Amino acid sequence: MLAGVMAERAPTKRAIDPAGAPGPVPARLSDNPLTRSAAGVVGMVVLGLISLACIFSLPWTLGWTSPSETPPYRAQELEAQYLPPFWSSHDADARERLLEAAAARIARETEDAGPGGAPFEPSEEELHSAAPRYILGSDNLGRDLFVRCLAGGGVSIGMGVAAAIISVFIGTIYGAIAGYFGGRLDAVMMRIVDILYGLPYILLVVLLAVAVDALMLEWMARTGRELSEGQRIFVNVLTLLVAIGGVSWLTMARVIRGQVLSLKEQPFMEAARAIGVPLHAQFFRHLLPNLLGPIIVYATLTIPQAILQESFLSFLGIGVRPPLPSWGNLVAGGLAELNTVKPRWWLLLFPSLLLGVTLLALNFVGEGLREAFDPKRGAARRST
Amino acid sequence: MTDPKDREKSPPEAHTPQEERSIAHRPEEKASRESGGAALAPPAAEEKSSPPILEVNGLKVHFPVRSGVLQRVTGWVKAVDGVDFHVREGETLGLVGESGCGKTTLGRAVLRLIPPTAGEVRYRGNNLLTAGGAEMKRLRQEMQIIFQDPAGSLNPRMRIASIVSEPLRVHGVCNDKDELRERVQTLLERCGMPRNCVDRYPHEFSGGQRQRIGIARALALSPKFIVCDEPTSALDVSVQSQILNLLRDLQGEFGMSYLFISHDMAVIQHMCDRIAVMLGGKIVEEGPRERILQEPQKDYTKALLSAVPVADPRERRKRAASAA
Repeated sequence: MLAGVMAERAPTKRAIDPAGAPGPVPARLSDNPLTRSAAGVVGMVVLGLISLACIFSLPWTLGWTSPSETPPYRAQELEAQYLPPFWSSHDADARERLLEAAAARIARETEDAGPGGAPFEPSEEELHSAAPRYILGSDNLGRDLFVRCLAGGGVSIGMGVAAAIISVFIGTIYGAIAGYFGGRLDAVMMRIVDILYGLPYILLVVLLAVAVDALMLEWMARTGRELSEGQRIFVNVLTLLVAIGGVSWLTMARVIRGQVLSLKEQPFMEAARAIGVPLHAQFFRHLLPNLLGPIIVYATLTIPQAILQESFLSFLGIGVRPPLPSWGNLVAGGLAELNTVKPRWWLLLFPSLLLGVTLLALNFVGEGLREAFDPKRGAARRST
Repeated sequence: MTDPKDREKSPPEAHTPQEERSIAHRPEEKASRESGGAALAPPAAEEKSSPPILEVNGLKVHFPVRSGVLQRVTGWVKAVDGVDFHVREGETLGLVGESGCGKTTLGRAVLRLIPPTAGEVRYRGNNLLTAGGAEMKRLRQEMQIIFQDPAGSLNPRMRIASIVSEPLRVHGVCNDKDELRERVQTLLERCGMPRNCVDRYPHEFSGGQRQRIGIARALALSPKFIVCDEPTSALDVSVQSQILNLLRDLQGEFGMSYLFISHDMAVIQHMCDRIAVMLGGKIVEEGPRERILQEPQKDYTKALLSAVPVADPRERRKRAASAA
């Protein structure tokens, strides 16, 4: 049957080709290197929406704007636990909890209004209008999943970007030194990279996290000082950042070394040496600007990797520690709630979806950038 | 092409011992000088003997060949293997030979862009190979190189203004922004480029224009000695002659010496006062242009000359007859 279809199609194709009809038009939207491929454009738009929303809402979700109140990311409403998204179907159980939560809200409001008020029996309409409407549902402690996803996204993306910056910084310097000086130094430096590649990074991260934790406890015991919650979160996040950044610069170093190896043989580098340009100026004025393309490309490809690693570690429970959310530990929490009796699907679906879409978008953007910076594509070169 | 006799620039009158060794045919040299354009010659050539600006003695550049798991050195590529020559003030020495004979390596080694294995390079008496950082930097102001590949020799991410002004800035010759710009524009204009090209990037120019920019950069510090590493082999023929004439005019104007590397006999004939023929890392024959072109001594030189295509069919027939 397949052969029949092929035979049917083949003549039409042959009939079209000699006529000089253009082949399928490549998916290109403009000459701007950033917006050349359709996937890249879609990726950028999606990424922009998600990351801007997550990052710009961070001050609010983490409670920096109103320090006296409980930060929204962990504001609990125990009556409102496990509420599905308001637009989805509610089973009897959920409907009951919804009304309970509404009643509790009304009761709190009247209490705030003034003590000594008579017990108040709200009407059904009042209850309906007071019922919490969670866009993405709520979790086991009645926390708004949407807010937690926003905050978690901010944490995940922020750590991804920070880790990428660390890896670009270390990787570029390391790779450029190895590539430029070459010889024995290069061999030694690259063997170190090979060895680090060989170490299982999960092990490294666990060791690092445990060691930092132990050191922190010992320091607290020795000095008798208590670290505040915020400080502990800071130490936790920083440890994770160092761990992820510390393993993801290896690829960067290799890429940059390769680029420098080929760049330093270019006649313009030789011209710089003939002129007597000092070493640091050779590096900053001649090498670095020509490395910018690959650096940007690999940085955009490192961000999703770092986000994935952070999420993975958080999923395993050694990354960002609850109650601070990250997409990774939100997914882990959602997975724990997944059972056949009461499938709280929203707790798993939304964080996973956000994580997946963001990673995909980042990869599309990275690929688009790589294509745009490919020197074999003349038009891309022209616009730089 | 102009008659070679019209442009005798610096007849290397043999006075130093090296000169006695290398030039055996002085009468011709004199004859050609008497017949021709002494008026064109730069001041340096007016003197009976101009001192050598660059002397190279026993220069060797060997590259190790490594093989095996341990990357042990199993042999050496002798790219330049014991070369002696000198270049006089205001003179052009042509270095000719087949590809792979070490011409380019020699040119780079002379400027210490490739570390030589052995030998001595003296620029006005200063040993270049032992010069320290500060001294080398000072000497680099007087020696420059023009590259074969005009596209690759300009940093694609820099504007023409900063490419050409870089030597001036690096050596602190000039730091004032407006003055730098003025100097760069004057230089570019001298090299046949429009003044308004300074804010553009190298890829916006043609091969010939890029080579002019490369020449302007080399000239920025008013060097006394320039290595021209096949400056025209990447250009098409009409642009070639423009660039060659520019180089020649500039030589007259600034009184520079050239070490002119090429595999093209016609270019060498057009440009050079003396010619050195290289083969397998060694100079097999050296002498004034007229003698090398008309009475080559070594078989390799003869073969090289006979490989030059002849445009005139009668000449061609004559040559075929003599070869048979």
